[in-house]
Amino acid sequence: MAIHVQESHAPSAAPARRGRRKRDVRAPQPGRLPGQRWYTPYLFPLPALILFGIFFAWPAITAIQLSFFDWDAISEPVFVGAGNFVRLMGDDRFWTGLGNSLLFLVGMFPLLVIVPLLLAVLVNQRLPGIKTFRMLYYLPVVTSMVAVGVAWEYVFNQQGVLNWILTGFGVLDQPIQYLLDPVWALPALVLVEGWKSMGVFMMIYLAGLQTIPTNLYEAAKVDGASAWHRLRHITVPLIVPYIAVTLTMEMLEAMQVFTSVYVMTQGGPQDSTLTLGYYIWSAAFQKYDMGYASAMGLVLWVLLVLMALANYRITKGRTVTP
Amino acid sequence: MTPRLAFWLRRAGMYVLLTAIALVFVGPFLILLSAAFKPAGQAVFSFPPDIIPRPPVLTWVKEAWTTIPYPTYLLNSVVYVGVMVPVYIIVSALCAYPLAQMNFRGKNLIFFAILSTMFLPGEVMLLPRFLVVSQLGLADTYAGVILPGLLSAFGIFLLRQTFTGVPREVIDAARTDGCHELRIFWHVMLPAARPTLAILGIFGFISVWNSFIWPMVVLKDSAMYPIALGISYLAGVTGTDVRSLAAGTVISILPVVIFFMIMQRHVLEGMRGAVKG
Repeated sequence: MAIHVQESHAPSAAPARRGRRKRDVRAPQPGRLPGQRWYTPYLFPLPALILFGIFFAWPAITAIQLSFFDWDAISEPVFVGAGNFVRLMGDDRFWTGLGNSLLFLVGMFPLLVIVPLLLAVLVNQRLPGIKTFRMLYYLPVVTSMVAVGVAWEYVFNQQGVLNWILTGFGVLDQPIQYLLDPVWALPALVLVEGWKSMGVFMMIYLAGLQTIPTNLYEAAKVDGASAWHRLRHITVPLIVPYIAVTLTMEMLEAMQVFTSVYVMTQGGPQDSTLTLGYYIWSAAFQKYDMGYASAMGLVLWVLLVLMALANYRITKGRTVTP
Repeated sequence: MTPRLAFWLRRAGMYVLLTAIALVFVGPFLILLSAAFKPAGQAVFSFPPDIIPRPPVLTWVKEAWTTIPYPTYLLNSVVYVGVMVPVYIIVSALCAYPLAQMNFRGKNLIFFAILSTMFLPGEVMLLPRFLVVSQLGLADTYAGVILPGLLSAFGIFLLRQTFTGVPREVIDAARTDGCHELRIFWHVMLPAARPTLAILGIFGFISVWNSFIWPMVVLKDSAMYPIALGISYLAGVTGTDVRSLAAGTVISILPVVIFFMIMQRHVLEGMRGAVKG
C-alpha cells in the first residue's frame, strides 16, 4: 500500500521540475523513484564524467587540432594544414614502423589466438593440481613488461639458455645474438610479447570452454570421435564468439607494442624493431615533433578502428551461440 | 596392458606435458632468480646452463637495493596502488549504479562515451594527455600520475553488468524503507558485487604495480618513480652488472607475484561471473 501511495506522488512531481516536455507527463519510468530528484542519476557518474572530459575528450580534441600544426613544444604552433599527413606519406621510417607493426600483428596471431585455445583445452581437464598449472601459465601476465624484458635478455644472451637449446638440438650451428641481429630481433620481441600475454587469452578461452555442456563430449566419445575430432567439431565451432574477442584484442595489442621495444632494443638494430607505437613516442618525447606525432597517432587510431570494424564484420556472420 | 595401467600412463604423460609447458612460462623467471643469487665466482651464462647458485648470496640484492633508491620506489608503488585501486573502484561503481538500475535521459550517451575510451589506444593518447596534464600544472606530480588512471571503462562495464543482476525488488524494498540512494549504493549494491570488486581489485593492483609508460612520460623527478620505472632506471645505471639487475628485477616482481598467488582463486571465479553476467 505504501508503495502505491508514494508512486502516485512521483508523476506530479516530475513535470513540475522539467515540465515543458510532453514525455514527462507519462507514468513514471521504472527507474524514477519517490523522493528521487531528477539529477540524482547524474550525480553518481559525475566523477567518472569529469575524468572522461579532462583525460579523454580534451586530449582527443587536442590531438586532432595538433595534427594540423607544426609544433616543437617551445615556439608558437604553426598551422600547416594537411602538411603532417603529406609528410607522413613520404616518410620511410613511418612505413618501416607500420610494416613492423603489421609483422607483430601476423607473428602474434598464432601465439595469442591459436596456442592459447590449445592451452585452455589442456588446463580445462579435471586433474588434481590443474589450478596450479593455470596459475603458472598466467604468471607472465602479472609481472611488468620491464621485468619480462630483463628476464628475456638473459634467455636471449649469446651464452643463454635459448642458444644452448637450439645449438644442442642442432637447429643452429653457432649461437646468435638475437637482439642485435636485424633478422632475429623482431621475431624475438614477437615471442616475448606473445609469451607475456598468452595467459590472458588462455583464461578467456577457458571461460568459454566452461560454457560448453560436457554431455556433448560424452556423446561424441560414445560415438567414437577422437580427441582431434572433438576439438575440431565441438570445441572450435562453439568457441568462435570467443575467437572474435581474442582476435580483436590481439590486433589492438600487436599494433601498440611499445614497452618491449623500449626495454630491449630501442627500435634497433637498423630500425628492424621500430614499431609504430615506438616511432610515435620517439617523435613526441625525443624529437618534440608534437604535430607530426599527433598526426601519426591519428593514423594509427583510424587503422585500429578499421581493423576492429573489419574483424566485427567478418566474425559476425559466423557467430554461433551455444 | 590393463585399462588401469593405460589410465595411469596417460595421466603421467599429461603431467609431463603440463610441466614442460609450465617450464616455458616460469623458466625465464627461474633464470633471473638464479642470476640474482649466484656468487661472483659463478658464471651467469654457460653451456650447459648452471642454474643452482653455489652458495646463494645476498650480495646482489643489497647492491640493487643501494644502487638506486629502491625503498623509495617500492614505497611509491605502494602509494600508487593504495590510492588508485580503491578510488578507481569507487568511481567505477558510482558510475555503474545508475547505468544499471535507473532510467534517465542521456544514459546511453554516458555509457557510450565511457565505452568509447576502450577504443582510444593508450599510445595515441600519450602525447595529448601529457599536454593537458602539463597545462593543468600536474606534470611531474603524484596527481599527474594518479588522476588519468582513475577512469576504467572495463571496471564500469563489469560493474554495470553485475549491478544489473541485482533484483529490482531488493532495491525497491530498500527505497520504500526510506533508504537514501547513496545508502542503497553502499549497503545493497556494493555487497552484492563483492566477487566483481575482488577481481577489479586484483587487476587494479597488478596494472598499477606494473605501470610504466605513463609515469615515464609524466615524471621527470625520479624520486616519484614507481618500481617498474625504477627497474628500467637500474638497467640504465648498472648496465654491466647482470647479477644486481637480476636481483633488482626479482624484488620488483615478488610483491605482485605473491599477491596474485594468494588471490588467484578469485580470478577465475570472477571471470566466470563476468562472462555469465
